Amino acid sequence: MSIMEYNGGSVIAMVGKNCVAIASDLRLGVQSLGIASNFQKIFPVTDRIFVGLPGLATDVTTLHEQFRYRVNMYTIKEEREIEPETFAALVSSTLYERRFGPYFIEPVIAGMQRTPSGSYKPFIAATDLIGCLNFAKDFVVAGTASDKLFGVAEGLWEEDLGPEDLFETISQTMLNAVDRDTNSGWGVVVHLLTKDKVITRTLKGRMD
Amino acid sequence: MNSFVSRFASTGHDVELRKAREAFGDEDESLEMWGSQAGFGPLSKGVPSFSVPAVPDPSAFLRLHTDDHADPSCRIKIKHGTTTLAFRFRGGVIVAVDSRATAGSYIASGTVKKVIEINPYLLGTMAGGAADCQYWETYLGIQCRLHELRNRERISVSAASKYLSNLVYSYKGMGLSMGTMICGWDKTGPAVFYVDSDGTRLKGDVFSVGSGSTFAYGVLDQGYHWDLTDEEAQELGRRSIYAAGHRDAYSGNTINLYHVKEDGWKFIGNYDVSEMHYEGPAGVGYGYEIRTAGKSSANPPPEPESQTAQT
Amino acid sequence: MNSVYSGPGFDFANTARNSFLESRGLPLPKATSTGTTIVGCLFKDGIVLGADTRATTGPIVADKNCEKIHFIADNIRCCGAGTAADTEFSTALIASNIEMHALSTGRKPRVVTAMTMLKQMLFRYQGNIGAALVLGGVDADGPHLFTIHPHGSTDKLPYVTMGSGSLAAMAVFESGWKQNMTREEALDLVTAAVSAGIFNDLGSGSNVDACVITASHTEMLRNFVKPNERVQKERSYKFARGTTAWKKEDIRDLIITEDITVIREGEAMDIS
Repeated sequence: MSIMEYNGGSVIAMVGKNCVAIASDLRLGVQSLGIASNFQKIFPVTDRIFVGLPGLATDVTTLHEQFRYRVNMYTIKEEREIEPETFAALVSSTLYERRFGPYFIEPVIAGMQRTPSGSYKPFIAATDLIGCLNFAKDFVVAGTASDKLFGVAEGLWEEDLGPEDLFETISQTMLNAVDRDTNSGWGVVVHLLTKDKVITRTLKGRMD
Repeated sequence: MNSFVSRFASTGHDVELRKAREAFGDEDESLEMWGSQAGFGPLSKGVPSFSVPAVPDPSAFLRLHTDDHADPSCRIKIKHGTTTLAFRFRGGVIVAVDSRATAGSYIASGTVKKVIEINPYLLGTMAGGAADCQYWETYLGIQCRLHELRNRERISVSAASKYLSNLVYSYKGMGLSMGTMICGWDKTGPAVFYVDSDGTRLKGDVFSVGSGSTFAYGVLDQGYHWDLTDEEAQELGRRSIYAAGHRDAYSGNTINLYHVKEDGWKFIGNYDVSEMHYEGPAGVGYGYEIRTAGKSSANPPPEPESQTAQT
Repeated sequence: MNSVYSGPGFDFANTARNSFLESRGLPLPKATSTGTTIVGCLFKDGIVLGADTRATTGPIVADKNCEKIHFIADNIRCCGAGTAADTEFSTALIASNIEMHALSTGRKPRVVTAMTMLKQMLFRYQGNIGAALVLGGVDADGPHLFTIHPHGSTDKLPYVTMGSGSLAAMAVFESGWKQNMTREEALDLVTAAVSAGIFNDLGSGSNVDACVITASHTEMLRNFVKPNERVQKERSYKFARGTTAWKKEDIRDLIITEDITVIREGEAMDIS
């Protein structure tokens, strides 16, 4: 048992056509014992950025606060909202600062990035626990069920899924992957970002 | 040359065979005939004997290759994690188990049969090594049948469980892993015996075994009394396994429920743990948030339009 | 935490906690590493660098198309193998310092300068920063090619390989390298060397990235060869709408809309 599996939890983000989705499970456990089925792992950063923080629960809270502080400082200094790509760099350097004493979190970032023309393009990224960024153009996964998520997502994801199709794909990927993982599950929450809307849905997941 | 070597060697597979043949006095038996009795060839006739690794300490050797706590990268991973329970009451014995098999954090199967039907009057439960339980309880079935043929009466639950406990005790320290309940109805009425691979054998009213047993005991102890009706008893068994399936990461998927009465055991049903959470066996979910919805401001009633999926 | 940006350098605040957890039998998780085949080769007019594009976490392919040829300066590039975060950040740091150095000296940066900065930094961290690098570039002294090991030792050679696929790649170089190659010959050799890593080393895979640096300009050939393109799926795995049952929905509209209701015009002003 590694520290990453102590509390359990998984996150996935996927790119669609003019939209992104990010999903996580809701379990908080202490090894095999389930404690709560409403533990938030995905946090809003701005209107158009979400960050998922699977890993050790104490670090989920600490890092969320840390990111909130740094994003607020950025917003005040720059007098503008942070963009997803910039936020990914912020996450990366925050984690690398602790290269030799890391937080046990593997963040996943999903957002809509403003383009010079004023429209929005989907953005996802993930880092490992010391901040190595992984920009993917399809999907990124993290957490105790990451192996399973990789497998299911590799099979189900396809290009140019519209918001509602993307919702079905990410939801089914998440639900079916966590059903094969002991340390994730107990409900799933999905956030769907489009250029003008944020839809949050709590799924009916297996409760065992 | 080879036959000469195998005749005088002190270790190896051939030697095990030779020893067994000498013990049973059937020199003429061919190798093929061993397989023809589904692996029970030597066992149906007498003392079971197994090939053990040709090393000074076989159990240490096994542990080296199977213990995933000491070495997570070891090659053989024995499946652990389970919840099983059995209790006796006025109306017989209730046996309820989950159906999850895990290898590390991976859920290898959600449809495992953890109740072993030894014969129409005896049930055994499975916790620990799946193969150990399956093999030895099937073997126990053979012995129970032989007992019937010899004595013209059914074996008592007590005798059957003692047979198993003596057997596993003879393998003590060799790496067997089983925690089982032998349940049935005999001349003394309903009976439940707990037998494990340490050699422990306990007679009792209520037992639960496995990683989720603490959760099952919680519900079981709270609801148990001798004069339960059949329906109440079945519900208690189901509800207890649900509790374990819900809270314990290594238990879950489905519940298998059996009821042993005077005329033998009966399979009551297979229930999905998640369905029990949301709908329950009769339309009322076991789940906490389902039972508490609308009962306080912290648990507001569900919004009416939000029950089904929409697009 | 006394301040958010508490000064430069690493923060060791969590190390006591983490080594406690480790002593309690909870081992440190794996970081992303680049199993990697990275190569460099000298030719007539300059340097060709090559790399595969696979990043791994243990046995899992974490990124199928990552970038391992990092920017140092316009005329210097650096391939990284080892702990992915370390290669990423140490090259970024040195790139930044090289830029400062170039600005303060008013000269084009030299490859040896970057090499010295990298080796001094890596030596200071005694191998704890797990970066194995192939540094190449062309400066006032002509083309240079170095390897830098995680502990800070360096080599200067006409053809080099690093990473888990280095043996496969070196086999290609040893049999195929010759002096004064043309750009095309060098690029072909580098592609062959990286491909040997991609196909024969499990830690390397996917595509070939290449970079040609000459005295006049630098050409980054991202995904120069793609020998492992995924085949088109035979069918679509789209789900029917409404497959997923959900309990609760919250829709937040980011476009602020407002309805303006005109409340009957008042009487016209008396302007007589």
